[in-house]
Amino acid sequence: MSGMSGSLSGNLVRWARIKSPWITIFNSGACNACDIEIIACLMPRFDVERFGILAKGSPRHADILIVTGRVTRKQASRLRRVWEQIPEPKYVIAVGACGAGGGVFEGLYHVLDGPECVIPVDIYLAGCPPRPDEIINAVVACLGLMEQDAAHGGKEWRQKQPAGKAGHASTGEGAV
Amino acid sequence: MNKKLTLEEVTGKLGRFGTVEQARFNRIRVSMEPDTIRDAIIAAQGDLACERLLAISTADNTETLELIYHLIGPHRTVISLATRLPSHLPKIRTISDILPPAGIYERQIHDLFGITFDGHPGLNRLMLNEDWPEGEYPLRKDWKPEPGRFYGGIREDRS
Repeated sequence: MSGMSGSLSGNLVRWARIKSPWITIFNSGACNACDIEIIACLMPRFDVERFGILAKGSPRHADILIVTGRVTRKQASRLRRVWEQIPEPKYVIAVGACGAGGGVFEGLYHVLDGPECVIPVDIYLAGCPPRPDEIINAVVACLGLMEQDAAHGGKEWRQKQPAGKAGHASTGEGAV
Repeated sequence: MNKKLTLEEVTGKLGRFGTVEQARFNRIRVSMEPDTIRDAIIAAQGDLACERLLAISTADNTETLELIYHLIGPHRTVISLATRLPSHLPKIRTISDILPPAGIYERQIHDLFGITFDGHPGLNRLMLNEDWPEGEYPLRKDWKPEPGRFYGGIREDRS
């Protein structure tokens, strides 16, 4: 991972990334309520830009991917492609009850499981829809995760150990 | 032209195609056979000034598929031309040549209900994903997803 070494430039990149994370928003089949709440975050009332959080249109410029909703069969390959375009280290926040546990779309013919069946998810955010302050809280928690990952030198320390193997007990995904 | 159409007017113009009834305050329904629907639409366009298509709706009544063309004009009265197709072989002539906006509705109905519209210039997938299996129509009442079958999306192996 870039920016994880102890060099001066690496530390600078790490500091800049945590100081000002750029996000991109992807609707993978939500009802748009979560999207409206995320847009409300960006608008003057909550105004996440004062914290340095910037919404970008292109995933190639982003650090954090915010996925709203269950993944429909049509969007699955698109979501995968968007995720692949984000430069490392990349983080994914699944927003809303649908992204976390199915919501009202669970079991329908046109949906897969949550975003975790297509891409690895770092943070789950519950709520239908979550309030803008909760979304900001999730992004801040993701920044904490970034800092911890940088200290551990990667995301591997968060991986759940297989059941038989005795490893240090670490939480898999953070939940907000 | 803002006067509403009455049941008598519609019966005079479209009564020869099938039974006419006042379904609601502002909606007159004409039930007919599938092969007369095209002439009825041409007649409604010409004689009743119903030159616009509001929607095409479909309902699955298990044995038959009900296809309803809703037309509207400057008089603001909805004329619903209803017909029934057998579920085992649902086939009807397209109306996209006389009413071009019908083309996209017909693509959607073909996608979700499996009604074939003869003469449609491009009856391709519209709503379902590209790798959805052929011959599965999810809005049919008797449709159930087959366990173990791949319906599109990402395959389980996550390659």
